[in-house]
Amino acid sequence: MNNPLSIRPPQWPVKFLRFFLKEKYLEEIEGDMEEIFYENVERFSVRKAKRLYAWEMIKLLRPNLIKNLEFVNYLIQSGMFKNYFKVSFRGLMKNPVNSFINVFGLAVAIGLCVFGYAFARWTFSTDQFHKNKHSVYLTTFFANRDGVAQQYGTTPRPLGEMLREDFAQIKNVCRVEDRSVVMKHDDNVFHERVRYVDPEFLEMFTFPLKWGTTNALKDVNSIILSEPISVKYFGDENPIGSSIQMIYGKDQSKVFKIVGVAAEFPKARTISFDFLVNFENFRTTDRAYDFHDWNAFVNATFIQVDNPSDLLVIKEKMDKYKVLQNSAVKEDWAISSFSFEPLATLHEQSEYIKNDISRSSKSNYVSIYFMVVIAVFMLALACTNYINIAIATAAKRLKEIGVRKTIGATRKVVITQFLTENIVLTSFALLIGVALGYFFFIPGFESLWHFNMDFRFTDVNLWIYLPVILLVTSIASGIYPALYISRFRVTTILKGSVKFGQRNLLTKVFLCFQLIFACIFITMSVMFTQNTNYMSKRSWGYNRAGTLYAMVPDQSSFEKLSAIMVQSPNVLSISGSAHHVGKTHKSTVLHFPDHDYEVDQLSVDANYFGTMGLELKEGRTFNDFEGSDRHAVVINETLAGNIKGNPIGLVFRIDTVQYEVIGVLKDFHSYTFRQLVRPIIFKVADKPDYRFLSLKARGDSDMEVYKALQAGWSELFPEIPFEGGLQEDVWGFYYREIGIYKLVWKVFAFLAVSLATLGLYGLVRLNVEGRTKEFSIRKVLGAGIKNISANVINQYLVLFIVALCIGAPLGHWLGTWLIEFSNEYHMPITPSGAMISTVITAVVLLATVSTQIWKVMKSNPVSGLKVE
Amino acid sequence: MKKTKLGEFEELVLLTVAALQQDAYGVEIKRELEERLKHKLSVGSIQSSLKRMEEKGFLTSQFGEATQKRGGKRKRIYATTSHARKVLEEMKEIRAGLWSAIPKLAYELKVI
Repeated sequence: MNNPLSIRPPQWPVKFLRFFLKEKYLEEIEGDMEEIFYENVERFSVRKAKRLYAWEMIKLLRPNLIKNLEFVNYLIQSGMFKNYFKVSFRGLMKNPVNSFINVFGLAVAIGLCVFGYAFARWTFSTDQFHKNKHSVYLTTFFANRDGVAQQYGTTPRPLGEMLREDFAQIKNVCRVEDRSVVMKHDDNVFHERVRYVDPEFLEMFTFPLKWGTTNALKDVNSIILSEPISVKYFGDENPIGSSIQMIYGKDQSKVFKIVGVAAEFPKARTISFDFLVNFENFRTTDRAYDFHDWNAFVNATFIQVDNPSDLLVIKEKMDKYKVLQNSAVKEDWAISSFSFEPLATLHEQSEYIKNDISRSSKSNYVSIYFMVVIAVFMLALACTNYINIAIATAAKRLKEIGVRKTIGATRKVVITQFLTENIVLTSFALLIGVALGYFFFIPGFESLWHFNMDFRFTDVNLWIYLPVILLVTSIASGIYPALYISRFRVTTILKGSVKFGQRNLLTKVFLCFQLIFACIFITMSVMFTQNTNYMSKRSWGYNRAGTLYAMVPDQSSFEKLSAIMVQSPNVLSISGSAHHVGKTHKSTVLHFPDHDYEVDQLSVDANYFGTMGLELKEGRTFNDFEGSDRHAVVINETLAGNIKGNPIGLVFRIDTVQYEVIGVLKDFHSYTFRQLVRPIIFKVADKPDYRFLSLKARGDSDMEVYKALQAGWSELFPEIPFEGGLQEDVWGFYYREIGIYKLVWKVFAFLAVSLATLGLYGLVRLNVEGRTKEFSIRKVLGAGIKNISANVINQYLVLFIVALCIGAPLGHWLGTWLIEFSNEYHMPITPSGAMISTVITAVVLLATVSTQIWKVMKSNPVSGLKVE
Repeated sequence: MKKTKLGEFEELVLLTVAALQQDAYGVEIKRELEERLKHKLSVGSIQSSLKRMEEKGFLTSQFGEATQKRGGKRKRIYATTSHARKVLEEMKEIRAGLWSAIPKLAYELKVI
């Protein structure tokens, strides 16, 4: 300790003290505290002295030392609050049914809020763990496509290196390119994606290493693995120093030395990797890779610029690259400008950038909006339940309030009492709700989608969020009953001349809203179920059942494999193609005399249409002999519709070569029903380009053929794992996904209906209980079930009808909107969904009311008359 | 002894103030008492009893000098009032009286 006076006591306790302590004592006590602090510094460590200082400050909070703040006095009336707590607990215990309705409803709503929070936090935190997120940018460019400026996330190959040389302001440049290879270590052989990156990758992106050093990637023989990959090949061992063989072509391979293993990636990320190797490896692994070809693109080029103003300078000077680029490429691909996207917001922008390396989180943002809306609805439902029941039971508490007022409680005090009760109740609900969210909603959702939201209670914002929810909920649900009940005058209460609670207009309005919500949710859920059922039956426009495919590395392997498969009696036809429906395609621009179209191109052989079950609408498909139809294309209906006029015989250019349309196929879905069918052309594939082998199996023999295919493959290429499968499994996830939506909406509908039903049940019960005498007299005078039912239902009937008349059409409208919004193709929408839901809602409502009618019917009128 | 209302801890603080004379300010009182009682005291407890006794009229106070160690803040020097000294004397007498009564009582009890 060189000079003790250079150490200062911590500032926050002083500020805290200045706020609370009486001003006339401040100078003296602050001085004392400082003196003791410096003494402690000499006796103990500085840290301990600071800790003692803060602790002493807190202990200074004594009633006769602190300011006479009004609320402090108010809080000091702890005796009164003790009484409020006691009364609320007794109230909760006395009416277990009402308490259950209130607590359960609020808990479910709060559970949904917690879940929504976890999801939103997960989405917002996407990629935010990168330390350089504000200084790392993705290089993108704009190009005109069909008259619209489209942003692309890829970059011309030479740009990265040129940027690095031309600008001193750019600290780091990193090119990223992916390749599919086969990785081999001992007996472990798998297809993998390898990321070729510049060594600066790990400097720009914050991926801490579990083992190894980040700068080791400078060596071209080094490789870095992700954690799951390390476990996949090496188990729990530290693989540093081991070697792994990368097989990147037929009989071509390279052995890499493992220099690093990344620590587990944060859960919310869009960019990560399985394997990292130095970008320079393209010089050996891909001889054809031309680093100076402006015509070719790399997957991504990231730059790091520490000073944002430098970025503007760089942007201005990008024009010379544009000139270079546009003189190299054909005019179809001319670009209009370069731009940079910061890493921090890349996942939000990704939706609008074509072919970018990131993943779009737009659908997550949309989900957040939906979740907010649903959570607010549920909270509103639960709060209205509370309000309705509180008002209906207020009659029972009038005496208590009368007495309180008589012995001096002001209206403010009564309001405070009711709000306190509410906070107690909501706290219960909060505990249960957090548990529901943590043990039920979050894990349920995570297991449906197979991901991890990384929700933890250590999150600081959560501890701001939860009290806010508590406060908002208790005030929203409690303020109206508190104001309402505290309003009555003592004299009228004690005279017993106040009659209220059962015929409150607001109660009716609230109940009506609840029923409308419930009806909306049921309608939407029914419609989603209908749509999902329809979708699972909808044709994809080609044969999915009984069709199989396998990926092949080149022509000779295709020929060998097809020679084996031809022998199988179950195989009806075999075809080869460069692309495959639902898997790959190539983007091409077609030049018509008056217009250009960007289309998806698939290169196939003549058998492909038969094998895949693609139906011809008019014209013909390709002839099956060598060299035929070199300049012919088959197009799909969508493209034919775009072109107008008779498409057969139409001529257009691709680059400089002329092609003629010979046939039109009926539309089919290469991707899911969510996406519009895009214009497609089929060309004859050159045999050396074959990458897919597709098969049509006889009848139900697809599983046998699948096994034969795998066996044939492993016989031919024991080194390379099989890649392929049933066509039904391509986009199989789509069906799971819509199944999940169906389930989620069913859960929402169930929750909304239970909340509304609970509310209704509570109200009807209170109503019937309040009229015990009346019903007993009616029964004694000979009223039958008809009369009693009519009596009970009467006051709700109008309400039910109004709710159904508003809820069903509204739900129908919302459901239609949502289905159209999320699917390009969907079921024909009919009012049947709304009708079914009306019936369901009506049955549920009547069942709820009839439980109470049943109770009245079973009760003995004698005991009913004895009440009070 | 009628209207004094002096607590046990307050009495100790008061006696310390009386003993320390010109040095009787917060930290010094705390240090002195801690030494004699042989356990730690918080600033809060000392300060609150000082303030309470000042309100009851046992103590008066005025600002003293400021030192660098106190960050330039002045001390507040406490002094006992004549009323306090009277009360302390009374307490002492009552205690002394009681003490002198003890052995006798104990002896008599033993005999029975």
